[in-house]
Amino acid sequence: MFWILAAILTFVAAVAVLRPFAVRGGGGEDAIAHDIEVYRDQLDEVERDAERGLIGRQEAEQARAEIGRRILKVSQIAEEQAERQTNQRLTRLTAAIAVLAVPLVSWGLYTITGSPGIPAQPLHARIAEQPADAPIDELVSRAEAHLAESPDDVRGWQVLAPVYMRLGRFGDARTALRNIMRLSGETAEMKAALGEAIVGGARGMVTAEAEDVFLEALKLEPGEPKARFFLALARAQEGATADAQAIWREMLGDLPEDSPWHAAARQALVRSGDAAASSERLGPSEEDMAAASDLSQADRQEMIEGMVAGLDEKLRENPQDLDGWRRLIRSYIVLQRPDAANAALKRGMAAFGRDAPESLELQGFAESLGVAIE
Amino acid sequence: MSIELGHFALVLSFALALVQMTVPIVGAKLRNDTLMRVGEPAALTNFMLVALSFTALTFAYVQSDFSVLNVWENSHSAKPLLYKITGTWGNHEGSMLLWVLILVFFGALVAVFGRNLPLSLRANVLGVQGAISCAFIIFILATSNPFARLDPAPMEGRDLNPILQDIGLAVHPPLLYLGYVGFSVAFSFAIAALIEGRLDAAWARWVRPWTLAAWIFLTGGIAMGSYWAYYELGWGGFWFWDPVENASLLPWLGGTALLHSALVMEKRSALKIWTVLLAILTFSLSLLGTFLVRSGVLTSVHAFATDPTRGVFILGILVLFIGGSLALFAWRAGTLTAGGLFQPISREGALVLNNLILTTATATVLIGTLYPLLIEAVTGDKISVGAPFFNLTFGPLILPLLVVVPFGPLLAWKRGDLWAVSQRLFLAFGGGLAVALLVFILVDRTSVLAALGTGLGVWLVLGALTDLVIKSGLGKVAPAVAFGRFKGLPRSVFGTALAHAGIGLTTIGIISVTTLETERITAMQPGETVEIHGYNLRFESLRPFTGPNYTEDQARFVLTRVTGKAMGEVMSAKRFYTARQMPTTEAGIRTIGLSQLYVSLGDQTPNGKIVVRIWWKPMVTLIWLGSLIMMIGGTVSLLDRRLRVGAPMPRGKAAAQGARA
Repeated sequence: MFWILAAILTFVAAVAVLRPFAVRGGGGEDAIAHDIEVYRDQLDEVERDAERGLIGRQEAEQARAEIGRRILKVSQIAEEQAERQTNQRLTRLTAAIAVLAVPLVSWGLYTITGSPGIPAQPLHARIAEQPADAPIDELVSRAEAHLAESPDDVRGWQVLAPVYMRLGRFGDARTALRNIMRLSGETAEMKAALGEAIVGGARGMVTAEAEDVFLEALKLEPGEPKARFFLALARAQEGATADAQAIWREMLGDLPEDSPWHAAARQALVRSGDAAASSERLGPSEEDMAAASDLSQADRQEMIEGMVAGLDEKLRENPQDLDGWRRLIRSYIVLQRPDAANAALKRGMAAFGRDAPESLELQGFAESLGVAIE
Repeated sequence: MSIELGHFALVLSFALALVQMTVPIVGAKLRNDTLMRVGEPAALTNFMLVALSFTALTFAYVQSDFSVLNVWENSHSAKPLLYKITGTWGNHEGSMLLWVLILVFFGALVAVFGRNLPLSLRANVLGVQGAISCAFIIFILATSNPFARLDPAPMEGRDLNPILQDIGLAVHPPLLYLGYVGFSVAFSFAIAALIEGRLDAAWARWVRPWTLAAWIFLTGGIAMGSYWAYYELGWGGFWFWDPVENASLLPWLGGTALLHSALVMEKRSALKIWTVLLAILTFSLSLLGTFLVRSGVLTSVHAFATDPTRGVFILGILVLFIGGSLALFAWRAGTLTAGGLFQPISREGALVLNNLILTTATATVLIGTLYPLLIEAVTGDKISVGAPFFNLTFGPLILPLLVVVPFGPLLAWKRGDLWAVSQRLFLAFGGGLAVALLVFILVDRTSVLAALGTGLGVWLVLGALTDLVIKSGLGKVAPAVAFGRFKGLPRSVFGTALAHAGIGLTTIGIISVTTLETERITAMQPGETVEIHGYNLRFESLRPFTGPNYTEDQARFVLTRVTGKAMGEVMSAKRFYTARQMPTTEAGIRTIGLSQLYVSLGDQTPNGKIVVRIWWKPMVTLIWLGSLIMMIGGTVSLLDRRLRVGAPMPRGKAAAQGARA
């Protein structure tokens, strides 16, 4: 479609260049005739002015004489009125060059500067396509840019890892989790999460590699629910349904009711055909749904808090950042942690010195948000 | 797809401009009618293509298409629709595209209205216009392409600089560019005349209306920019002698001179060569202005981006066009014939004086603007040439000019009688003097400048009226006859009178604000009252408010006269644009008569008060009302029927028209 329209435009432009060549010119116009016409107009004007009495008779007479002189002068110029012999070959050659130049230059240049492959992406259309992902996308790219600069910021990786999982970017999630463990040591929780990422990458299959990771997690913390759940799943995938069901039942027994893994284990039991579990509940309950959405709500909150904590950290290292302090105070207010906001205000003012103009400005800003120093 | 199509249209327009630049000029050289005729359809099609391109970009802004780099850098999905549209030219790339759009618009106008111009003149003019378009389109494509893409596209833009999110921005740049670029027509005509080696009688008739149109727009653009700075920047200043402002003042001064010299040329065939040179210089000053603003040589609101390649590129264009045209002038000016003669005391003489003073003033401003750049380039020192320099140089130059303005229109062509004219202006002079005395005695006994300046303004206004009175013969003939003559006066006479009166009003405004303004700066808290110039301003409340893409603290003030008469409310605010994390001030302005009360909020003090700055600005609106009247004068003059070009028509038809008129 684009190329068709581009071709039509090119065609229009070429026609514009060619038109004068197609229409036979209606004889040469005479520059001198123009001049005389202009002077004639001026004479008329002098007459009008004289009639209205705008100029005196003498002035009008002078003006007439002056214009008359000019007309004479123009008429005397013997312009070479030689017939304009139109050189047909030259005309055709020029026409050809001009009309070829239009498509050649334009298409040639466009291939260098243009990007015909990228479609227009109006925002409303994009939001309609992926309503939920829209704001997260942006957060992720911002966090990624930050981590590219300071790859040792563990909070950043901690924030990103669960987001990657949710977005289905399992390879990135594995990198993030490995980084977390590199920076803050190995925990069962992280190991289990890494295993889950491996499973995700294998399209749900609990591979041998994943199984090893889950076993390591259980070594660090024997009761880790996620690892137990996936090890059971591995059994189920091997066909050892009974073994799998045994683990899940065990989880139902020793996990508290409100643990998300309790619900997950029950659902897995139902799916694997355990009659006892399915008679208990058919499908996920409303409570389960609520729990799931709570989970994502909590995750989201965690994510925000992670970012705020990252900012807090940065300001500890580089406290001479007025804008940063403003953002931090505002964030704490948004998170409904007025004490933390107050503390941040104090730290900020200490960093600039109590009577520095920045401090006063920060104080004014905080006061506008309802944070006052006592 | 629309974006890429817009991009392609721009590239295609470049190719077509190449043809427009070469074929008609070659045709004129070879006296080949067919080749000369190519310019016209090429110019029209070029306008269509660039308009398509500009529409595509605007569309991308309206749709918040962040796959376009330029949109991402300068827009935000939460921005109000109006500012999405105006944001199209609120940045370097978009504003350059607007520049080119206006350029090809004028090219198309020449093609449409120029059908009755001699063919070779039209071909050369369109050829030069084509050359200018070529240079600027390739500049856009090579260094500042507004159609550069981002893939993958970000989800949110970076927002437009908050102080540019204002209705003033919607109007200021397009007006300014219409002015800047409008002078390109006069330039093209000058170059065409130099190429042809002859000045047609049609030449002068053509150059004047085009110059006038450009001058009207430039006047409007400068006035708008000044008013925008006045209410948006929060200090209540209307002119800062900022290099960027000077960049727009320079072509205005040059254009004003050109306007007057074109008048002499049209009426008297004199000053021909000088007019050609002025046409070249005026557009060169426009180009210089573009260079100063766009290259990032100057850091200010207007230097959207600083990129050395752009500066070098524009400098190249500048050298090519200014150097080339001046070289052409030096080489060909000799072939042009000089025009009629006149006595020093005559209308022509007055216009020459006008030109002398205006060009000297232009040179002064030019030096003041470029000197710091030169010093920085040579020694590396940063200096700034500010208001004191300009007040000391530009002021003394321009004041005498203003004093003699009323004499000009009253002098006769060829040889005038200065003594007779002085007698006729006696009343106007008396009026000016009386006002000056009144100001001195009643308003301010300490400021002689205020008295003299106001008197000067009144003298200009009354002088302009005197011209109308005398030309209609009021007081000499019966009132009915005088009224008949008044109605019959050519519109250009009204235009002159209005424009000169407008200058007078602007002078009064500038003088009274700079000499009689009063200012109060005080820390206030709600409930407190401050008195200024016979008014009481009570700080009522300070409330937070959330706009579409900003939050603000709105301060409400209640205004009363000292006598107790209520005058309503004044609202002033401090805004914070969240996307750019940038604060702005929204001044509260109350117009009382021709004067204004200007309230602006400062920072909060630790004890919970807020700094409030209040100015009483006497007669300040006259600055812009005067400009408006100048524009109206220009428009009236433009509508005068005798500015039309005499077209060669079949004899019978022409005679019939002559009879009707």
